[in-house]
Amino acid sequence: MFHYDFDWSVLWRHPYGAMFAKGVWTTVSLSLVAWGIALALGLMVALCRVMPCRPARILGGAYVEALRNIPLLVQLFFWYFAAPALLPKAIERWLYANVRDLPYYLAILALGTYTAARVAEALRSGLLAVPPGQLRAAFSTGLSQTGTYWHVIVPYAFRIVVPLLSTEFLTCFKNSSLAMTVGVMEATGTASYIDSFTFHGLETTTAASLVYLATSASVILLMTWIEKKLHIPGMIVRRD
Amino acid sequence: MIEIRNLSLWYRRGHKVVDDVSTVFPNGRTIVICGPSGSGKSSFLRCINGLERFQEGEVLIDGKSLRARETDIHQVRARIGMVFQHFELYPHMTVLDNITLAPRKVLKQSAKDAVDRAMQLLTRVGIPENAAKFPGELSGGQQQRVAIARSLAMEPQAMLFDEPTSALDPEMIKEVLEVMIDLAGRGMTMVVVTHEMGFAREVADEVIFMDHGRFLERKSSTDFFERPDHPRTREFLSRILR
Ligand SMILES: Nc1ncnc2c1ncn2[C@@H]1O[C@H](COP(=O)(O)OP(=O)(O)OP(=O)(O)O)[C@@H](O)[C@H]1O
Ligand SMILES: [Mg+2]
Repeated sequence: MFHYDFDWSVLWRHPYGAMFAKGVWTTVSLSLVAWGIALALGLMVALCRVMPCRPARILGGAYVEALRNIPLLVQLFFWYFAAPALLPKAIERWLYANVRDLPYYLAILALGTYTAARVAEALRSGLLAVPPGQLRAAFSTGLSQTGTYWHVIVPYAFRIVVPLLSTEFLTCFKNSSLAMTVGVMEATGTASYIDSFTFHGLETTTAASLVYLATSASVILLMTWIEKKLHIPGMIVRRD
Repeated sequence: MIEIRNLSLWYRRGHKVVDDVSTVFPNGRTIVICGPSGSGKSSFLRCINGLERFQEGEVLIDGKSLRARETDIHQVRARIGMVFQHFELYPHMTVLDNITLAPRKVLKQSAKDAVDRAMQLLTRVGIPENAAKFPGELSGGQQQRVAIARSLAMEPQAMLFDEPTSALDPEMIKEVLEVMIDLAGRGMTMVVVTHEMGFAREVADEVIFMDHGRFLERKSSTDFFERPDHPRTREFLSRILR
């Protein structure tokens, strides 16, 4: 017989309520900052991969293949266990002594650099989908290489891959749950932490699931809005 | 003046797409280049403003070599306009932004000056009411006229046209040709790759026949159509004029 006394109050009663709220906030901030890094770094890597300069292409390609093909969990462990040890001893000691949320920051780096590889792939497909005539047209008006990419090619490519980027953004959110394995108390970690005191894991994991669903729903709404905003008039419209 | 000396270009070794071409395009003239598909017309045109990296020869703009160390290729391109078969407007920008981008970024014009000039040009090509629209909302003929306005906004000393009307429906060809005729009348130096033989006959000062990367024949437009020398030119003309 299934018998379980539900006690949803573990989600808000002291001290668990504050813990849980902090966990949710950690998930959101960690994902958003990692996403920011992923976009900026991903764009640079994607640009490297379409440049005429061969060493840049090789470097960009190596970045993508390495980061995309090593499991995120392994990368997290690398950042957490190995990366600080690679620094000079003094800096390492200083880090552990002074940075209270070190795992949080390391998780941001891990998630950001990993997601950057995936973003770079998406953006590269966008850059390659921009007709070569656009490059010629921009060059023919005297725009520099930088100006051409900044004003014409990259904005165009971005608009092509907005749907792909939405997917990566969602994945980034969900991947942030892995940060609990290095001790970051984000939503999932907090859920299991509260469970270990109250044995009410059913409620806490349900709540965590709902958090992911809610954030995903907001991301989807946001991206749909962005897609509409950035839609190029006269191009194919996505209807849903 | 644009001077070409022994220009050769290839994409694959052993197959010259432009083969040892020497020629001069004097200021204020309209020169038409025609020739069969794949004869290297587009490639040749792209060499003139340095869009294509040619392997041999020289392109001189007002006596300055494109390949000279002290030549700033971007500055050269800014002074030579180019119009493409498929317009190549930036689809994510309004018509006005398409036209003002380069004047603002390259010539460092103020936004207001650039917009004023763009509106003048849009009026000149006959579509001032479309300034706020996006390229995808315009007909092909309107798009090509915007593309011409975009080039003119840089106040070029010469304009290159690469089959500007061959992607257009017949009823739109005329409106684009009219803009080009107006330009020629204002003394613009123009090099036009086209199969519009009516335009060549009426507007061009000279016509060049290009085949397999070479200029086989260059004559005043009357002579070109009345007295072509080369059998390949005659054959081409008979096919295209029917
Ligand atoms: N970027 C490129 N890379 C490799 N080959 C090219 C490239 N551009 C053109 N070619 C080849 O060079 C030759 C000449 O092409 P080009 O486009 O200059 O001819 P065209 O006279 O303009 O032809 P069309 O009338 O079809 O426009 C063709 O065989 C073409 O396949
Ligand atoms: Mg061509």
